[in-house]
Amino acid sequence: MNGLNLIEDLDKYKHGMELLQKTPDFSVGTTPSEVIFSEDKMKLIHYIPTVEKPHPVPMLIVYALVNRYYILDLQPDKSVIKKLLEEGFDVYVIDWGYPSGTDRYLTLDDYVNGYLNNSVDKIRERSGLDKITLLGVCQGGTFSVMYAAEHPEKVQNLVTLVAPVDFNTDKGILNLWAKSLDVDKIVDYYGIVPGDFLNSAFLLLDPFRLMIDKYVGMFDRIECNPDDTTSSIRNEDMIKNFLRMEKWIFDSPDQAGETFRQFMKDCYQNNLLIKNEMKLNGTKINLKNITMPLLNIMAEFDHLVPNDSSKPLSNAVSSTDKETLVFPTGHIGIFVGSKSQKEVCPKIAAWLKPRSLLNGKGKEKTNEQERKNYGARVNVNET
Amino acid sequence: MEKSNLESTQEFYDQWLNTYKATIGKLVEMPAVGPAREKSEKMMKGFSTFANLYAAGMDTSSNLQAVFMEAMRKVQEKNATDMQGEISPEKYKDFYNTWIQTYSETFKEFSKSDHFVADLGKLNSYLMDFQRYNREMLEENYLKPMNLPTKTEIDEINKELYSLKKTVKELTSQIKELKEKK
Repeated sequence: MNGLNLIEDLDKYKHGMELLQKTPDFSVGTTPSEVIFSEDKMKLIHYIPTVEKPHPVPMLIVYALVNRYYILDLQPDKSVIKKLLEEGFDVYVIDWGYPSGTDRYLTLDDYVNGYLNNSVDKIRERSGLDKITLLGVCQGGTFSVMYAAEHPEKVQNLVTLVAPVDFNTDKGILNLWAKSLDVDKIVDYYGIVPGDFLNSAFLLLDPFRLMIDKYVGMFDRIECNPDDTTSSIRNEDMIKNFLRMEKWIFDSPDQAGETFRQFMKDCYQNNLLIKNEMKLNGTKINLKNITMPLLNIMAEFDHLVPNDSSKPLSNAVSSTDKETLVFPTGHIGIFVGSKSQKEVCPKIAAWLKPRSLLNGKGKEKTNEQERKNYGARVNVNET
Repeated sequence: MEKSNLESTQEFYDQWLNTYKATIGKLVEMPAVGPAREKSEKMMKGFSTFANLYAAGMDTSSNLQAVFMEAMRKVQEKNATDMQGEISPEKYKDFYNTWIQTYSETFKEFSKSDHFVADLGKLNSYLMDFQRYNREMLEENYLKPMNLPTKTEIDEINKELYSLKKTVKELTSQIKELKEKK
């Protein structure tokens, strides 16, 4: 029996290596989309609606500068974006791109009041509406909060997903580490802060699990039933899922130095945002300017953004219509875990639907725009 | 955290560092004179930059070693009874699980400590000093004499380019606004 177990382990390893050698296709971000606007390296992506009449108020998803937005569309059965489209939303997402040397002087203001604001304006122009829904994820959630405070007149609803706003917590290891870093030295040396530099910090959070156990686990999940077709399919799917996640984890864009400097110093080290003392281009960000409906979502077992870092947002804003949801998942599990499709997305949709209705003025404008956009959509499908 | 038996290494290293500071360290920090004054002073600075990095590296390694040893002690304790008798694949698996769990938890605990946080900050800071110094030396002693562009010059161009792009965007936006007003 013991000997058989040993042989089974070797078989799993052999099977796993064979599957990896076949270099399976593990595409990510496959939901049909079109780029409708670009500025420098930033692209505004519009997902082709999957329902005939989407809810009129469009939704812009703002992802973090760290890692890539396609975690929200990792694979068809684990796609937050696909699910939101199925729920009838008109979904846009910002792809920040990969900053290079020429971007080292980009500031946080350039991201929030530049790229993000221009993307919002583009969507407002296309939809014919004055306001849109912002769904900010992780650091993108922090950006969305800043934006909503600066431009409340353009935001109908604000949804924050695992977004840090209060950085003065000792619950997150990153929060502790960030305080000890000499950010000026890092930015002054690198200019563009390498994605690998940040990745090594993430790996250091739990090196034994992330650099050893994860890979052991992959081989351990291999099923060794050579004559069973469903078992082979499961193996192949498992490897593909693993590789997709692996690709996302290590697909880490470099960071624009000046943005990194301000974010680290103002947020992680001095915690200015929640105190309404943080400035963008000389203007203080006042979270009390946020008056629109707010849905603040957290992951209970988040090791990167502890709940203590997200919760205070609800009390910092002036919104009267606000709700906080905590799901029993981790930071990444909230997008790709089983609860994401079954609970998180349906809850977001249920909260947003009654808040995505038009007033009379908006309705007229939208009807006119819808005709234009419908035409454009047909063209995209034809090509 | 239990102390490692690297104490003697650490002591040796501390002594080495103190001796370095009292002897060569003083010499290299002495103001240089003569026609090559500027260059030699910059080059001498490299010694202390490297010594600082080396000291921080040693400190960090020694502390990490102590953590690994503590983790190993815990693993041994947990496996004291389980690993007795006949060795089987299941036992290897159990050992692996205990090992990964214990090491992971012990390291995570250590990574939250003030000690580790301070070490990390110090190591990173000295690494940046060292890297920056190396680049300066490379620019000064190789790239400039060979008339090749340096990173510093490229950064200056990038800054200028950023500023120009920003101005163009602002002007374009103003033109758009004026057109709409008409």
